[in-house]
Amino acid sequence: MMWKYIRRYLPYAILAGAFMIGEVSMDLIQPGIMSQIVDDGVLGLNFGGVGNLDLIWKLGLQMICLVLFGGLCGSLNNVFVHLSGQNIGNDMRKDCFRKIMTFSFPQIDRFGTGSLVTRMTNDITQVQNFISQFVRGMIRTTMLTFGSMYCMFRLNRMFGYVVLCVFPLIIAVMAVCMKKAGSLFTKLQEQLDTVNSIMQEDVTGIRVIKACVREIYEKLRFGKANDELIKTQLRVLIIFAFMNPIVNALMYLATAAILLMGNVSVSAGKATPGSIMAAITYTTQMLNGMLMLVMLFQNITRGIASWKRVRGILDSSPELADGEQNGETAVKGSIEFRDVSFAYPDGRTVLEHIDLKVNPGETLALMGETGCGKTTLVSLIPRFYDVTGGAVLVDGVNVREYRQTALRGKIAMALQKSELFSASVQENISWGDPKAGEEEIKSAAAAAQADSFISRMPDGYRTIVAERGMSLSGGQKQRVSIARAVLKNAEILIFDDSTSALDLKTEADLYAALRKANPHSTKIIVAQRIASARQADKIAILENGHIAACGSHEELLASCPAYQAIYQSQIGEEDDRHE
Amino acid sequence: MSEPRDQKLASRNIPGMNRHERFVEVQHAEHLGATLKRIFAYFIRERGMVVFMLSVVIFGTLCSVYAPSLQSRAIDTIAGVRAGNLLWTVILMLCIYLLHSMCQLLQGIVSARLSQRVVKHMREELFAKLVDLPVRYLDTHSHGDVMSRMTNDIENISTTVSQSLPSLFSGVLTIIGTVAIMMWYCWQLAFLSFATVLLTLLATKILSGRVRKFSRRRQQLLGQLNGTVEGMVSGYRTVVAYNRQEKITEDFCQTADSLTKVGIKTDIFSGVMGPVMNCIGNIGFVIIAAFGGYFSIHGLISIGVISAFIVYAKQFSRPINELAQVYGQLQTAIAGAERVFTVLDEVDEDQSGERLKESEQMEVTFQNVNFSYEPGHPVIQDFTLTVPSGKKVALVGATGSGKTTIVNLLMRFYDIESGRICINGQDISHVSRDDLRKNMAIVLQDTVLFSDTLRQNMKYGNEAAADAQIANAMQMSRCDDLLKRLSHGLESVLVGSGENISQGQRQLLAIARAFVADPKILILDEATSNVDTRTEKAIQDAMQCVMKDRTSIVIAHRLSTIRDSDLIVVMDHGQIVESGSHDQLLAQKGKYYDLYMTQYAGFAT
Repeated sequence: MMWKYIRRYLPYAILAGAFMIGEVSMDLIQPGIMSQIVDDGVLGLNFGGVGNLDLIWKLGLQMICLVLFGGLCGSLNNVFVHLSGQNIGNDMRKDCFRKIMTFSFPQIDRFGTGSLVTRMTNDITQVQNFISQFVRGMIRTTMLTFGSMYCMFRLNRMFGYVVLCVFPLIIAVMAVCMKKAGSLFTKLQEQLDTVNSIMQEDVTGIRVIKACVREIYEKLRFGKANDELIKTQLRVLIIFAFMNPIVNALMYLATAAILLMGNVSVSAGKATPGSIMAAITYTTQMLNGMLMLVMLFQNITRGIASWKRVRGILDSSPELADGEQNGETAVKGSIEFRDVSFAYPDGRTVLEHIDLKVNPGETLALMGETGCGKTTLVSLIPRFYDVTGGAVLVDGVNVREYRQTALRGKIAMALQKSELFSASVQENISWGDPKAGEEEIKSAAAAAQADSFISRMPDGYRTIVAERGMSLSGGQKQRVSIARAVLKNAEILIFDDSTSALDLKTEADLYAALRKANPHSTKIIVAQRIASARQADKIAILENGHIAACGSHEELLASCPAYQAIYQSQIGEEDDRHE
Repeated sequence: MSEPRDQKLASRNIPGMNRHERFVEVQHAEHLGATLKRIFAYFIRERGMVVFMLSVVIFGTLCSVYAPSLQSRAIDTIAGVRAGNLLWTVILMLCIYLLHSMCQLLQGIVSARLSQRVVKHMREELFAKLVDLPVRYLDTHSHGDVMSRMTNDIENISTTVSQSLPSLFSGVLTIIGTVAIMMWYCWQLAFLSFATVLLTLLATKILSGRVRKFSRRRQQLLGQLNGTVEGMVSGYRTVVAYNRQEKITEDFCQTADSLTKVGIKTDIFSGVMGPVMNCIGNIGFVIIAAFGGYFSIHGLISIGVISAFIVYAKQFSRPINELAQVYGQLQTAIAGAERVFTVLDEVDEDQSGERLKESEQMEVTFQNVNFSYEPGHPVIQDFTLTVPSGKKVALVGATGSGKTTIVNLLMRFYDIESGRICINGQDISHVSRDDLRKNMAIVLQDTVLFSDTLRQNMKYGNEAAADAQIANAMQMSRCDDLLKRLSHGLESVLVGSGENISQGQRQLLAIARAFVADPKILILDEATSNVDTRTEKAIQDAMQCVMKDRTSIVIAHRLSTIRDSDLIVVMDHGQIVESGSHDQLLAQKGKYYDLYMTQYAGFAT
C-alpha cells in the first residue's frame, strides 16, 4: 500500500539514498586521512621519522575536496528527501480526502469526525516526516554506526573489539530507558487528559462553581490532579536524564581503553598514534549515530501507528453503489416509504415497517420523542443511509436507482445542527445554487428571515462566517442554512428541526414566507413544537420506530393519545377545554 | 563529523519535553525587563536548586575543558614525544570524563525537578486565578486561549528556563574555557579554527531569512488546509446534500498542492542546515588536521595537541550552533510568560463585605437597576422589581431581552452600574460574594456537571449533605430511575462532564443538586434544549417541586411552565413592559398575549 505511493517518487528516493551514502562515506574516510597526516606527514613513520610537509598539504587538499563533495551530497540528499517525502505526503492527503468524499454516512460514523480530521492532518504529517526521516536518518545512522565500527576494525582489530564490547552495553542502556519511560507515557497521557478536562470543566462551569462557592474545592481538585501529572512527568524526565550521561560515560571508557591498548600496540609496532586518534574520532561518530537512532525509533513507532490510521481511510471502499437514473421523472415531489426498516450498523434498530406517503406539494410534519428516529427517517430520503428493509421511493423511483447526485439535486435540506463553512455568508447561501445572483440570494435570505440581520452586519452579505459559524448565534446560523435550502428551489424541502433556536414569532413568519417562496415544493418538517407542526397537511407521530399516528392536527387531537400528550405538555389542559 | 542539530533533537524529542526546531517563529515580549524580573522571582523561590545546578554546570564545564588536554597528553606519551606515566594520565582522564558525565546527570535531574516545581507552582497559581477572577474574564476571553496559557505557555517557560538556560550558561562557559585553552596551546591554530564560526554564522543568516519567509506561508496554508478538512468532514451531511464533493475536492487539492510546494521549499532550506553544518564541521576538522600537521612539523605543537583540538573544536562549535536557537526559544518563552502574567495581574473578584443578615424571609428587590456589558449598549434599563419572600416570579421575553442578565446581577457575577439590588432591604453590593451566593442556588440552561462521583456532584452546593438528604433530593427531582440504572449508585463517576448520561437527565441532576443545596433563593434558567416529552414533563414537575415555598426567579423560555407563577414579568430590550399574573396579562391583550398566541396558535399570526 505504502509502496504504491513511494513508487511514484522512487527515483527521488533512490537518488536521496545514493547521495546519503556519498555524504556518510566522506565522513567515514576523513579520520583515516587524518591519521595518515599524523603518521606520515607529521611523524613520518614510513619515511624514517622525517615529517613531510608536501604530503600534509596534499592530504589536506584532498580532505577539503572530500568534505565539499560530502557537503554537496548531503545538500542534494536533503533536496531529494523532501521532494519525495512531501510529494508522497501530498498524494496521500489528496487521496484520503477524495476517499472521504465518497464515504457513506455509516462509514463516517464508524471513523468519527474527530478521528478523520486527525488522520487527515496530524497523521499524514507524521507519515510524511517518517518517510523523510527514514530515507535520510536510517541510512545515515546505520551507515555511520556500522561504518565507524568497520573502519575501526580495519584500523586495528583490538580497537574493533573495544567498540564491539561497548556497543551492546550502550544499546542495553538505551533499551532500558526507553522501556521504563514507555510504560509511563500512557499514564502521562491519561493524567494530562484529567488535568485538561478539569480545566475545561471549570472554565465552562465557572458560574456553578462560584454560585456554590466551591472555588477552594476546585483548586484542591486541580492541585491533586496536577500533582500526579507533575510526578509522572518528573519520573520520565529523570529516566531520560540518565540516558545521555551513561552513554557518554561508556564512550569515555572506550576512549580510555583505546588509549591503553593503543599504547601496547604502538610499542609492538602494530598501531600508530594517528590510528589511535582516528579510532577516538570513529568512536564519537558511532555514538552520535546511535543517539540519532534512538530518536528515529521513536519517530518510526509513531510513524507506523499513524500510517495504520491513514491506511484505515485509504483501504476502505465506497459503500453506496450508484444507480443509473438521472433524475428525469414524470412526478415531481412525491415521497414514499414502503415498509421501511432501518438499523444502524451497530445493531441499533431505529425504524420498523414504516409506511408513509407524501404527495407533491404537501407538507408533512414529523413529531416524536428525541431518539425516536425522526432524523434517521428523513436521512433515508437523500440516501444518507441505505434502508435495511423495504424501499424509499422519490418521485416513484427507488432511491437506490438514482445516481446519487441526481437524487440529491431534487432535495434541499436544512439540518438541526446548521453546518456553515468559513466563507462569506453569501457564499454559504449560494451553495444552494452556485449560479444564483445577488438578488436571488437576498430574496432567499429574506424568506428565511435572515435578510434583516445579515444586512445589519457591518460587511453585510460579505461577512465571513468564522470557523463553523462561531460568529453567528444559533438562530442566525439556522436561518442562513434555511436560506441556503430555500435558494436551491428543490422539489423536496426537508427541515430537520432546523428552527429550534428561533423564537416563535420568527418561526411563524418564516413558515409563512416559505409557503410563498417555494409554493410547489413538498415539505417535510421535523418539529418539537406543536406550534410548528400544526399547520402541516399531515402530522406523523413517530414512536419507538413506528408511525403511531398520521393525520391532520384536528384528527390527531381527537384520536391519538400520544399527540394529546405532547399537546398537553406544551399547551396544557386549560386550552384543551377551550378547544 | 557529528550533526549537532540532530543530536540535540534527539534529546528534545522526548515526549513530555517541548520540541524546538531551529527555525520556529520567534515571538517577542512587550515588556521584556519586567517580565524577566518576574520569571526570575519564581526561580529565586527555588534558589537552593538553582545555585546547585549552576555550580554543577560550572564544574562540569571545567571538566569538559580539562579532559581533552589529558587526552592530548596521553597521545603524546604514546607517540613518544612526551615522557610520563601513560596509565596514570589515562586514569586521570577517565576520572575527569566520568565526573563530567556525573555533572551532566546531576544537571539533568536537578533541572527536571526545578522545571516541574516551577510548572506546578505557576499552573496552580494560574488556575487559582482563573477561578477567582470575575466571571466577566472568562466570558470575554476565548476558552481555548485560556487553556493554552495553562498548558503551552507554562510548559514553555519552565522547559526553556530549566533546560535552555543551563545549556546557554554552560555554552558560554564552554566557549570561554575552550577558546582560552586553545589559545594557550596554539593561538595560530585557534584562530584558524574560529574561521568555522564565521562560516556557521554566515550560513545561518542566509538560510534563516528564507526559511522564516516560507515557513510563515506554510503555517498559513496548513491552517487553511486543516480548516477545510475540519469544516468539510464535520459538515459532511451538508456537503453531500448539496452535491459539493467535487468542487470541494478540487479546492482541497489546490491548497494541498500549494502547501506541498511551499513545504518543499521550507524543508529544503531548513533541512540543508544539517548537511551544511556537517560540512562546516568537517572543514574545521580538515583545518585542524592540515594546519595542525604543518605547525607540528615546525615544532609549534605536538600531535597530542591536534587530537585535543579536534575535541575542542567540536566542543565550542556546538554551543555556537545552539546559541541562536536558544535565544529564539528564550524570546518565545518570555512572550508566553508575559501572557501568563497578564492573566495573573487581572484583579480578583472582591471577596470582602458584610454577612447577609440571617432571616427566614427572603425578599429580593431591584430598584432602578441599570447595567451594560459594554459601555454604551445598555442591557438592563431602569429595572425595578420586587420578588416577595417565598413567591415565584417568572421572567419572559424574546432572546436578548435581558432575562439571563438578571441572574448575573443577582449572583453578583457582574456588578450593576446604578440602582440597588437588595435582599430584605440589605444592599447586596455590601454583602460578601461568598455569603450572598451561599444563600442562593442556580440551575442553568447549560447543565454543568463535573467528572466526579455522583455524590460529589450532588453535594456540590452543600458539602454537609447526608446521603439521606441526597436520596430524598434525587427522588423529588425524578432522578431515582437514573440512580437505579447506575451500577455504582452514588459512587458512579460521571465521565467527561457527565457525557454518559443524557441531556434531560443532566437537567434533572442539576435540579437535584439545587434541592440538596436547599437555598433560600432559587434561580432557574429554563433549558431550551430539546428533550423528549416524558423527560420534559419530569423536569417540569421537578422544577415545580423545588420551587415550592421558596423565593424563586424563573427565566422561562416556554410559557407552559410558568402559568402558575405568582408574578410574570415581560421584558423587552432590558425593560419591564408588563407584569401581572397569567390571567391578568392575558386579559390585558398586550405583549404577553402576543407571545402566548404565537406560541400556541402556531402559524397563524
